[in-house]
Amino acid sequence: MKKILSIVLAVVMVAGCCVALSSCSYKDTINIGVSGPLTGDAAVYGQAVANAAQLAVDEINAQGGLNGIEFRLIATDDQADAAKVETNYNKMMRKGMQVSLGCVTTGACLEFKNLSKADDLFFLTPSASGDSVPEFSNGYQMCFADSNQGGVAALYVQSLLAAGLLTNGLKIEEVGVFYKSDDAYSKGIYDKFIEMMPGIPEANRVAFTGTNSDFTAQIDALKGCKFIFMPIYYTPASQFMVQAKDKIDAKAIYYGCDGFDGIESAEGFDITSIPQEVSMLSHYNSKATEGKAKEFADKYEAKYGKDTLNQFGASAYDCVWAIYGAMKKAVAEGKTVNNETTVADMCAILKEQFNGEYTYSGATGTNIKWADTGYVAKVADYIQIKAAN
Amino acid sequence: MNFIAAIINGLSSGGTYAIIALGYTMVYGIAKMLNFAHGDIIMMGGYAMYIALSLAGHPILALVAGIVFCVLLGVAIERYAYKPLRGAAPLAVLITAIGMSYLLQSLAQIIFGSAPKMLVKLQVPGFFMIGSLRVDYSTLITLIVTVVVMTALTVFIKKSKPGRAMVAVSEDRDAALLMGINTNAIIAITFAIGSALAAVAGYLMLMKAPSLSNTLGAMPGIKAFTAAVIGGIGSIPGAMVGGILLGVVESFSYSIPALAPFTEAVEFSILIVVLLVKPSGILGKMRREKV
Amino acid sequence: MSLKNFNWKKYTNYLVVGGVMLIFGLLSLVGVSDASITSLLERISIAAILAVSLSMVVGFLGELSLGHAGFMCVGAYLGGKVAALLEPSLGNGPLNFFIALLVGSLAAALFGVIVGLPALRLRGDYLAIVTLAFGEIVRSVVMNLPAKLFGGTLGLSTPRMDKKYLFIMGFLLLLACLAVTQNLIKSKHGRAIISIRDNEIAARATGIDVTKYKLFVFTISSFFAGVAGVLYSFSMYTVQSANFDYNYSIEILVMVVLGGMGSINGSLIAAALITFLNIQLQTMLTGDLAVLQNLFYAVILILIVIYRNAPGLKGFREKYNMRTISEKLFKKKKTVVENADAGEEEATNE
Repeated sequence: MKKILSIVLAVVMVAGCCVALSSCSYKDTINIGVSGPLTGDAAVYGQAVANAAQLAVDEINAQGGLNGIEFRLIATDDQADAAKVETNYNKMMRKGMQVSLGCVTTGACLEFKNLSKADDLFFLTPSASGDSVPEFSNGYQMCFADSNQGGVAALYVQSLLAAGLLTNGLKIEEVGVFYKSDDAYSKGIYDKFIEMMPGIPEANRVAFTGTNSDFTAQIDALKGCKFIFMPIYYTPASQFMVQAKDKIDAKAIYYGCDGFDGIESAEGFDITSIPQEVSMLSHYNSKATEGKAKEFADKYEAKYGKDTLNQFGASAYDCVWAIYGAMKKAVAEGKTVNNETTVADMCAILKEQFNGEYTYSGATGTNIKWADTGYVAKVADYIQIKAAN
Repeated sequence: MNFIAAIINGLSSGGTYAIIALGYTMVYGIAKMLNFAHGDIIMMGGYAMYIALSLAGHPILALVAGIVFCVLLGVAIERYAYKPLRGAAPLAVLITAIGMSYLLQSLAQIIFGSAPKMLVKLQVPGFFMIGSLRVDYSTLITLIVTVVVMTALTVFIKKSKPGRAMVAVSEDRDAALLMGINTNAIIAITFAIGSALAAVAGYLMLMKAPSLSNTLGAMPGIKAFTAAVIGGIGSIPGAMVGGILLGVVESFSYSIPALAPFTEAVEFSILIVVLLVKPSGILGKMRREKV
Repeated sequence: MSLKNFNWKKYTNYLVVGGVMLIFGLLSLVGVSDASITSLLERISIAAILAVSLSMVVGFLGELSLGHAGFMCVGAYLGGKVAALLEPSLGNGPLNFFIALLVGSLAAALFGVIVGLPALRLRGDYLAIVTLAFGEIVRSVVMNLPAKLFGGTLGLSTPRMDKKYLFIMGFLLLLACLAVTQNLIKSKHGRAIISIRDNEIAARATGIDVTKYKLFVFTISSFFAGVAGVLYSFSMYTVQSANFDYNYSIEILVMVVLGGMGSINGSLIAAALITFLNIQLQTMLTGDLAVLQNLFYAVILILIVIYRNAPGLKGFREKYNMRTISEKLFKKKKTVVENADAGEEEATNE
């Protein structure tokens, strides 16, 4: 019995190692890797990124690639779990990843930034918005960093307070925050917002955690507010709005960040039944009626349907094109960029472009530039999703 | 004022916990097992209501559909997963129940997806004022339903024949069998009642927060289960006391900004404190095991 | 002891684990090995330590712990924090690792005592509830404490050991865990522990201090969960508390149940198998179908437990168990001492 057990044990271990090795690398293409939640609770974001990046890669290849060399996207699934990133990273490196979109979510990307630092791999993340994501010189963001969003939102609210733009004149005691205290994105924006708006009363800073969806206590705490800042994703936000319909002042404003994008198409949620105004601060508007944002939305919808159309995808689409644009500019300047460029050379070439005069215009902004800290510089729009009734 | 509002909110969510905790505690008292899958029966009931709502469109019909489905599901689980293990080690039953909870959650996600469904038709809008205190109709309904359910259950157990048979089975299953009580039937009835209560609790939860996902029952289930242990598992008044206590503590914790993020930790700490001070729970009886 | 009388069969699992470690260790040192192999091996060693230590509580003591991931979390965070503080002076080498290991595992053991004390005095399923609550408390607390302490929602940055060596550490610790567990089970204390599982009242009657033994086993088990936690923190750049949720505790439980409760080798194999499957399945299933994995675990859990425990299936079990099937396959005609209790391979040393 024991003999059999031990043989089985040995076979399992050896087989495991053999299978782990058995995948070949792509040598004839320029390979872009990305790791994101293709399954699990955050799958809608990861799928949007993978789809949109594939869309961009297909378009680039249809144009003849980079001087005839085609691009290839290697997408792997991390279920937004940092512990799964290393496996993905190793797998993508084995397959010949030369440049990357990093990870889709912040937690996973914090692991990715360290792994990629060791290999000096360039990454431009579409959506991992943590402040420390571009900590090392090889990391860049296409989305706004959390503290940046929190800061811009605070400036906006301050301007409202100063100008008395609301009909009844908004007072700081009437500003509330509703955030998810165990989520890096929400907490990151919240911290900066509160830092800049210390006058907001303690009682109006309301948190929830986990998968909790009964917000009775939270709504009760916020019922006197006329302006509620919600740095959260749209699913809990829509749940809050449905429950708060007749409990919070009908003239109040719900103000979110880019996490709000797509709220009007959330399943089973009828935004017109909400009396309050819903608006957001975002770099991308999926309901845009003109420009690159509209072009992207149309192309995406035609290929993948609109279930997963959101700002994550738009941002990923821009990431791929921005990397392509930087490569093209480098080639024009006499550099060699092809399928044989090493990871470190690629990183040096792209860093020179991104830290230099290179600008990019796409679905999530025009004349986008990057600081050498890796943070993006572009304009965030105030977008009204739904006016007050 | 906030103090009273917090108490009312706490009573309302505590009532829901109490109704769920009743399911745990009854099954524990009679079948001597922790039915881990109880919380997920709530969730399955929620999906039954969702289907009924999209077919028939009336909340009362949805409630009836939810109760019927939960009763069938509860009895079926008992019959096919737990009954074969009657007489086996308690650990085996417990692990099976955990497996069942996992099974229901993954089945629901495979069938209905992970995106939450909004059951806005179950919402009860409106409120009334007591002085300057605002009470929602949904809160009032929850409180009324809690009181009605608890009274009915107490009367049922004290007065009716099957109710008294339940007490007998929970006291001594073998002796009850010798007295001519069909213990298998009584255990099935217990599961049926527990599951019906789960459906009612699910309805109350969805009435307040109409978003349904496959994890709907998981956290409330674990909390209600904690409540049952706090009150003294196996004791019906204990489940009520534990549920209400947990709900009020939760509501207070949420209303204090510095404490709000730690709410879950606070709730579960009560369990450990209660077990340290009074191991059998607030209203539980300590039983010494004999050969 | 002369080499002739040395009973190799008693040490098969040490030899297999040690052999795998030596082979891949050498491969890794000469640079033939690949990063994904070393990371797979280190995952397997972590999972195996968790499974073997949980198997002590579930398989031999007969109590259920649903917070094993919580103890791992304590080890990972406290060990990781100490390591992060020491990193500037000690680097990420073995010295720092051992200090962190000591701190993390002892802290986990201490929490084991704190949690076990109220719960283990009581008969029944209390340990399951209290450990479940403990797991949730730990996760919620580390995440919501100020970021300066444990990194808050972004997780704690910890030193990461060179992957070429970490899995060797993991396997050495797994060997230590096996040695402690197996020697404990074979000792007179081990017999006392098993007697508690089989009949607590009888055990008490023979003068065994039931609570003391229960607490002892539970503390050792938490200690090794802490060891696994420190290993984990050294395998990652950031430790995030979301990883140590209830589902992870269940996954470890599945390993123990799948391996056969009360079988150390079984837990070892199941841990390796499930870790390997998880990594392979990571990219194979898409969308909501990824839950199929959980469904699969759930079905396995239910079927195995019912099959092995249902009183009604006793005849069936005796007719078709692993032993009789393997005997038929290998055409052995040996009389094996039939042990009524399933899973005790130790009793039949062929």
